[in-house]
Amino acid sequence: MTDGLSQAALKSPWPGSRRGVTAALLSLVIAAGAVTMIAPYVWLVVNSLKTVEDFSRHPYSLWPNPLDLAAYARAFTLGRVGIYLGNSLFYALVATTVQLFLDSIAAFAFARMEFRGRTTAFTMLLTTMMLPGAVTLIPTYLIIVHLGIADTRLGVLLPGFAGAFGIFMLRQFFLNIPADLEDAARIDGCSTFGIYSRIILPLARPALITLGLFIFIGAWSDFLWPLVVLTDWDLYPITVGIASFRSDAWIFWNSVFAGSVIASFPLICLTILAQKHIIGGIALSGMKG
Amino acid sequence: MKSASLPGRSSNRVAYLFAGPAILLIGTFSIIGIAYSFWISLHDYDVLAARNPFVGLENYRAALSDELFRLSLINTSYYVLLAVPSIMCGALVLALLADKAGRGSPLVKVIYFIPSITPGVVVSLLWVWLLRDDGALNQVLGLVGIAGPNWLQDPRAAMPAIVIVATWQAVGYYMVIFMAGLSDIPKMYYEAATIDGAGPFGRFRHVTVPLLRNTFVFITAMLIIGSYQVFTQVYIMTNGGPQNATEVVQAQIFRNAFQYVGKTGYAAAMAWVLFAVIAVFIAVQMRFMRSRRLYD
Repeated sequence: MTDGLSQAALKSPWPGSRRGVTAALLSLVIAAGAVTMIAPYVWLVVNSLKTVEDFSRHPYSLWPNPLDLAAYARAFTLGRVGIYLGNSLFYALVATTVQLFLDSIAAFAFARMEFRGRTTAFTMLLTTMMLPGAVTLIPTYLIIVHLGIADTRLGVLLPGFAGAFGIFMLRQFFLNIPADLEDAARIDGCSTFGIYSRIILPLARPALITLGLFIFIGAWSDFLWPLVVLTDWDLYPITVGIASFRSDAWIFWNSVFAGSVIASFPLICLTILAQKHIIGGIALSGMKG
Repeated sequence: MKSASLPGRSSNRVAYLFAGPAILLIGTFSIIGIAYSFWISLHDYDVLAARNPFVGLENYRAALSDELFRLSLINTSYYVLLAVPSIMCGALVLALLADKAGRGSPLVKVIYFIPSITPGVVVSLLWVWLLRDDGALNQVLGLVGIAGPNWLQDPRAAMPAIVIVATWQAVGYYMVIFMAGLSDIPKMYYEAATIDGAGPFGRFRHVTVPLLRNTFVFITAMLIIGSYQVFTQVYIMTNGGPQNATEVVQAQIFRNAFQYVGKTGYAAAMAWVLFAVIAVFIAVQMRFMRSRRLYD
């Protein structure tokens, strides 16, 4: 099948008479791929709207009969999705706000200020970007334990309060902002922090939005770190929360699906609303390689 | 860049104030963390114990002679060998198709992209059902006359099943990166190649592939690093089963460090072995890619 696809892909779009046929064929293959991508979601949503009986009898029918919201109700009562959802929102919003602030102000220093150790520190930051998370997982956990904040919200958040990638990306962006504006502002008596907050940040809005979305999506989806650092159920984010559904005594799969819909819905909405920033940002990060 | 920097004696202190918090955090959790992790791996370490005796390389020796850890290394390498080419080829083919079909409509891009922003937990829970014996995948295969295995219960099919899920999830993300790479190739190269008599395959082989080299290097490195650390899908879909067929390194590290007592040093040694394997793969891949450099 792959062969067929690449043959089609390589077919020249130029020769006149076959252009229409080729284009139609291409669109068809792309559409078929899109259906493959979207079908599992349709199945997920449909099954979250079935009753337990309907689901166990017809798990693959694509029409809930009857349409039922009990799975969602159960996800919120027995499944405590409300608590998890609140936690996830809290973690993702705080991580995004704090990391955007710390990354951008550090990037400003790296882009615009001379200080001893600047090159060393920047090289160090770049190096840490290559470290696989598997190696830092254990020490990160132990440092959090030593700080006495294991199994707390701060423990979940602290390692994500700054990111080397964010500093690197924002510094690149800041370097492309002309310095004339800042000189003018400085002559008018603007402080260094004022230059950062009133000149650089507004000009860097697109980069900040993209980075903010990356941080938000990453924090929302994170599973392994909160799983490691938390034991208190009341602090679970939604990813760990719905994963623990199955180990509960009540196995209502349609409620697991309802929880899954709730867990992925905010990110899907974000992607549709901010597709230019997210997809464009990823395309950009790929070029760096 | 020099002219852009701010004058004045006080700027040094301000700079430390600005860059300090981020450097402190990243330095603590990455640089100190790495050193700490290595130190732990040389000790019989337990965070609650009063004494943590130095054991030298004993943890490494134990890990490398541990049947289950060796199996997990083999399993993970098997996963990487299947997943990296499959995601890469899938993404490249999709990018070429979308490129030929006029840079792809935004809607299609978003649809292909959505699985990659869906939390791994959701993807895994969902596919547990699609991969059942009577599940959606086998129903689709049945339409073309193939009797699919009971994916997650069959020791031979379980890892390929996880690769299928990983491919479904990641392909759109790398498609976007490939499309960005493709759109950077000047059209005149294709025109020149056509004038020189290159067919579609010749153009692909001699224009697209070499000019996408940076993209290839970047994507391969990212995929190898990421795939060697596969965890969530395995943890949720099979938890290492059936018969340890999907037990992966990251799961071994997780179990030893956080579920068993007094095995932290041992788990840290496993993490370093994994790091070494990843480093070797990246080095080999970089060399391979560099020897292929052609035009620039």
